Amino acid sequence: MGQRDVLSCEVSMRRNSAVRASMCRLDVESAVKEVGQSIGDVLSSPRYVLGRGVKRKLVDCEDPVPDLPYPLQRQLVMDLCLDKLQSCHRRSEPSLHRSVLLANTLRQLQQEMRQEGGGLSPTLAAACPAHAAPATPRHTPDLPPVPSDCVLAEEALPSLTSCHDLIFGSFEITNSTSYLTDLAPDDIFDDIDTSMYDPSDFSVLAFPSLRVGSGAPSTNGEEGLKTFSSCSPSSALQHRLSDLNDLDQIMEILVRS
Amino acid sequence: VAGGTGAGGNDVQWCFSQVKGAIDDDVAEADIISTVEFNHSGELLATGDKGGRVVIFQQETENKCQPLSRSEYNVYSTFQSHEPEFDYLKSLEIEEKINKIRWLPQKNAAQFLLSTNDKTIKLWKISERDKRPEGYNLKEEDGRYRDSTTITTLRVPVFRPMDLMVEASPRRIFANAHTYHINSISVNSDNETYLSADDLRINLWHLEITDRSFNIVDIKPANMEDLTEVITAAEFHPHQCNTFVYSSSKGTIRLCDMRASALCDRHSKLFEEPEDPSNRSFFSEIISSISDVKFSHSGRYMMTRDYLSVKIWDLNMENRPVETYQVHEYLRSKLCSLYENDCIFDKFECCWNGNDSVVMTGSYNNFFRMLDRSQRRDVTLEASRESSKPRQVLKPRRVCAGGKRKKDEISVDSLDFNKKILHTAWHPQENIIAVATTNNLYIFQEKVN
Repeated sequence: MGQRDVLSCEVSMRRNSAVRASMCRLDVESAVKEVGQSIGDVLSSPRYVLGRGVKRKLVDCEDPVPDLPYPLQRQLVMDLCLDKLQSCHRRSEPSLHRSVLLANTLRQLQQEMRQEGGGLSPTLAAACPAHAAPATPRHTPDLPPVPSDCVLAEEALPSLTSCHDLIFGSFEITNSTSYLTDLAPDDIFDDIDTSMYDPSDFSVLAFPSLRVGSGAPSTNGEEGLKTFSSCSPSSALQHRLSDLNDLDQIMEILVRS
Repeated sequence: VAGGTGAGGNDVQWCFSQVKGAIDDDVAEADIISTVEFNHSGELLATGDKGGRVVIFQQETENKCQPLSRSEYNVYSTFQSHEPEFDYLKSLEIEEKINKIRWLPQKNAAQFLLSTNDKTIKLWKISERDKRPEGYNLKEEDGRYRDSTTITTLRVPVFRPMDLMVEASPRRIFANAHTYHINSISVNSDNETYLSADDLRINLWHLEITDRSFNIVDIKPANMEDLTEVITAAEFHPHQCNTFVYSSSKGTIRLCDMRASALCDRHSKLFEEPEDPSNRSFFSEIISSISDVKFSHSGRYMMTRDYLSVKIWDLNMENRPVETYQVHEYLRSKLCSLYENDCIFDKFECCWNGNDSVVMTGSYNNFFRMLDRSQRRDVTLEASRESSKPRQVLKPRRVCAGGKRKKDEISVDSLDFNKKILHTAWHPQENIIAVATTNNLYIFQEKVN
């Protein structure tokens, strides 16, 4: 947390009045005007701990800010980047353009850090945008607490690309009415595995115990098949597993004796 | 800026003419202007707003005989172009905000324009009615039917003048062709087709056909994880109906020839300037993203706008622009702050004057910039209520980047980044410009002596 305190950055946004250039420490400062509290700004969420919302008076000494060392500058930009990417879904106007630019910037910074071979920030791994839910339903992702002395190996860094689908995938505007008409009926069910329902797998003995739903006793093998097919795959599987378990137990007893 | 006396034809002095919109500072979100466009004659000026409305102003010339007479734009027609929609699958609201308006060249008495939101393009017909038929045989003037036994003679109804009524009616709705947000529309010089571009695709439409469109550019990667570039703007060439350009978020412009192939994924020309290594920063890519591309009226050049500059490209030279103008270079040292408050993602538009000698673009603090290509001069002007007395000449503004601030200069830190001029338009023939602040439309004209 100490590292973040150094990078305090205030945004001055006052309702119904001017948005001034915020006093970001990476910027060359010529004069400092008064800094107000950000209101209703996504960046002012409690998670964002870069010293936001601190009210400072113009009068109180504003020493010219010393230039931050490059790695800290880069860290600041990266933190901002992650925060913005995560807030993408909560914006009223999600923008693919903006997300792509942010993702590219982040990737570029990551690459730079990799090339330098230095330790990667724990915040980078912890704040992977993959935690952000896709458009529906939305929830605020919670950052895991930042480990105090975490040094991550490169391999542990979650790939940014795995998060892209979630970031970029939610930008498509689909037309609700045409969604289903565009698909051939067979396509909709393509990915449903129907192998469980292969009738040739069934043994006659299994039928009596599988009568569910209909209630009527089945004398016809075919009806029994239909009954079976109305079961959910999981219950059929469970039944098979319990059969196997019984068999195991019997075997154990036999082996022990 | 070298002082101009205004005596010659080259030194235009701009005066306030009119301002449209509410005065109070509390801006209703629906009133935020999102696009401004003159029609081909300049007689009509259309604006679109975030509330999905289109307002069209018409130029009234006090004295048609004198070309430089003071002319005013008054409201001609107002209509609701788009309504908010809801995408049930994604649980997303589709905004009614009008992203772009483009006029069709006039073919008959009626005017036609295309307006688009994120998803749907509509063709609107704006027509005047100033006569109505009177003297029906079977109906009274109020519409009631007459008793047929009282009708003993026949007469031909005649048209009599009535108060002018301007009607806007949607003639075509071009829907369901875009998965991503539409950012551009452009009418082709053949007057039969137009293109619409979203973040990843460009479609070609025929103005008469709404149930089909051709996809002519598709940059969506097979794997969305590989997405690194989006389309930011697109436009047809003003004369060559087979040629169009599109710009990208990586600062490139691709010129495509539709004669080459049906799917123009392979460009005919790629315009890209190598990055200046001395200006490299964390935000280099973001500020290189092109927010607008516009062909010159001549068709020989095109102009692009990125965050800090305007570039003029010769279509015959791909490796660098022929001219580069800094819009607000003093912001280069403020990029981190602008990144933080998201201003770095603002999309400024740009426009040419009628003879391609001057280009204009907006900036912050309600400043806008006029860049004179022939004179190699530039000036910064401001659209503000304070400078809005009738025919008041606009004074050039200066921004002090650092050091001692001179009188009449404004320092960078005092700039209001909430007051941005993103949309501007220039009359196709005259020196009349329309500049949109957040919710006001300013009209400035050349000073007439």
